[in-house]
Amino acid sequence: MITKISGILGLFATLCATSAIDAQSMFRGDAMHSGTFAGPAPRQFHRVKWKFPTGDRVISSPVFKDNVIYFGGDDGNVYAVDAATGRQIWKRATNGPAPATPAIADGTVYIGSYDGKFYAFNAQTGAVKWKFATDGERRFEAKGLHGMQPKNQTIADPFDIFLSSPVVANGTVYFGSGDGNVYALDSATGDLRWKFKTGDVVHASPALADGVLFFGSWDSYFYAVDAATGKEKWRFHGGEDPTIHNQVGFQSSPAVMNGTVYTGCRDANLYALDAATGKEKWRFFNDLSWVITSPAVADGKVFFATSDSSLYHVVDANSGKPIVRQQGKAFMFSSPAVVSDVVFIGVLNGTLEARDLKTGDLLWDFKVEKSKQNDGWVLTGDRKFNVPFLFHSNWREVPLLATDQEIRVGAIFSSPLVVNGVVYFGSADGFLYALE
Amino acid sequence: MTRSTTRTIHRGRRIRAVGAFVRVIAIIVVATVLPCRAEDPISGRWEGSARIPADDITVVLDLAQQNGAWVGSIIIPGLGLKGAPLTDLKVQASGVNFAVKGALGIQLKLRLDANNKLAGDFEQAGNRAPVTLLKTGPPQVEHPPRNTPVAKELEGEWKGDYEMLGYPRHVSIKFANHPDGATADFVIVGRKHNVLPVDLITQEGDLVTVDSHEIGFSFEGRLRDGKLTGAISQGAIETPLVLMRSK
Repeated sequence: MITKISGILGLFATLCATSAIDAQSMFRGDAMHSGTFAGPAPRQFHRVKWKFPTGDRVISSPVFKDNVIYFGGDDGNVYAVDAATGRQIWKRATNGPAPATPAIADGTVYIGSYDGKFYAFNAQTGAVKWKFATDGERRFEAKGLHGMQPKNQTIADPFDIFLSSPVVANGTVYFGSGDGNVYALDSATGDLRWKFKTGDVVHASPALADGVLFFGSWDSYFYAVDAATGKEKWRFHGGEDPTIHNQVGFQSSPAVMNGTVYTGCRDANLYALDAATGKEKWRFFNDLSWVITSPAVADGKVFFATSDSSLYHVVDANSGKPIVRQQGKAFMFSSPAVVSDVVFIGVLNGTLEARDLKTGDLLWDFKVEKSKQNDGWVLTGDRKFNVPFLFHSNWREVPLLATDQEIRVGAIFSSPLVVNGVVYFGSADGFLYALE
Repeated sequence: MTRSTTRTIHRGRRIRAVGAFVRVIAIIVVATVLPCRAEDPISGRWEGSARIPADDITVVLDLAQQNGAWVGSIIIPGLGLKGAPLTDLKVQASGVNFAVKGALGIQLKLRLDANNKLAGDFEQAGNRAPVTLLKTGPPQVEHPPRNTPVAKELEGEWKGDYEMLGYPRHVSIKFANHPDGATADFVIVGRKHNVLPVDLITQEGDLVTVDSHEIGFSFEGRLRDGKLTGAISQGAIETPLVLMRSK
């Protein structure tokens, strides 16, 4: 009972601490990354409300504040777009791709870029408030990565595609970096409050609950750190893969709910950890298939999907026991958004799916034009990835080119946002879409 | 029927008559405007693709008339072009030709066909591909960012030194304010005397930027305590640089 009350108080404290932020103004909806959004959800697709073109892929997920959609572009720009019309309000250039999701708080847009800088822009005008230089971005890399040859050559991981998205609370903005650090900056000035060093790239996005910051690193550890001081509270060891470095690292961002942390891992597990101690409560193994999606948690259930096995899962939040299992068409990196009785998720074959909350049955889907065109036969006739055709050699260049090909069909890495019944998401075809 | 009732009826008839007159005028105005709009089939947002071997390049083109002159910008996802300005823009009733500003060297030669599509050639680096565009809405032409004025205390010459690839470089930036924004003379002296073509100067609060997009150089610094403290960037290479007012 005491645990329950302290859990409720902790939840209340977190909600108060992030009161300046709407539930749609940061990655996964809130500081705890529940992945749930209020409001109506379209159970049928009617039309494309608008689509907004950019200069490159849109990997970032959109966020919403005061009728404006904000997102980052791989063309290096950060965008503010009128949610009703799809017209650009402002754009500001960074000096590198921005595949992170911004957070909006106190009239400021916070986002990192591959130029190694973390930016604070005025939300109304786009004017730079401050910039903070990290020790530099980089992608996860390893020798013989994923079995690519030559095995003694260090290869950057083409699937390390997101940058860490910030969480803002109590005048502090927190984010991870390719330099291995998690940073806590004064949200008004950009001054460093503390930084926490891990052993490798941190591109997962930290979640905040009850004064504790939760995040995973590519060093195979998942960390809980005091949000005020940056002192480590506990760490949890995920899987290792010293041979081909395929089954290692936390790329998924955690969700924290009722004293439990849920996170996917490249070691093919979805983990449920005790938020207070880091002790494993349960794990759900996915037969060597990565869990890149950030889980959503609602109504005592955890919603997530897998990469290679392309499975959509709903499991019991307390026990990890399977409730729903649906076979998808292609890899899923996008994180599910739970809205009313519908779950939305992007698929790397260029499709946005809407699934029934209870059954997981497909209600409707939307394919971007590039996906329908299927140039280069990237997809099979039934819209799966044409794996034998793309990965016919393991020589270094071929897997890299193949992954690039996969992205060409308008892959949806971006996690959907639903506001007032409109579904917003980005595509690798360079557009941000609004569907209703 | 009283006199006041009769006056009310007459007033009502007058109001209806005035209302009818206003409607007629409105119809005439709209009817006058419509042919003008119909004479401008080129203005708008155009979307489509260029078919290069084994791929489609998405093209979003915005064309509009402003103060009697044609302006335009283009978006090409995948090539990093978002609202890139058009140069050598020639618009005729039969079509439009232009080049895209920047290093890619893209040119489009388009004709307005009988189905109101803009169709023609997409050219780059000696290659040519067919392109077809459909009008999808009103134009959303992007204008390049403009120079802002700079603070009075920033006017004049600032100097500093940095080292790159083992060579010392001397930097001079001379700011001046004009009615349409600031200008800056940006000179770097290393083994050669380099005058950089500056295309954008901005000051937002104490943050000052001077950009030469043509050769990929920029300076960005904060004006604090009488110094411009920041960095000079050439592509991804960024070197700290402090500029002091020239004596």
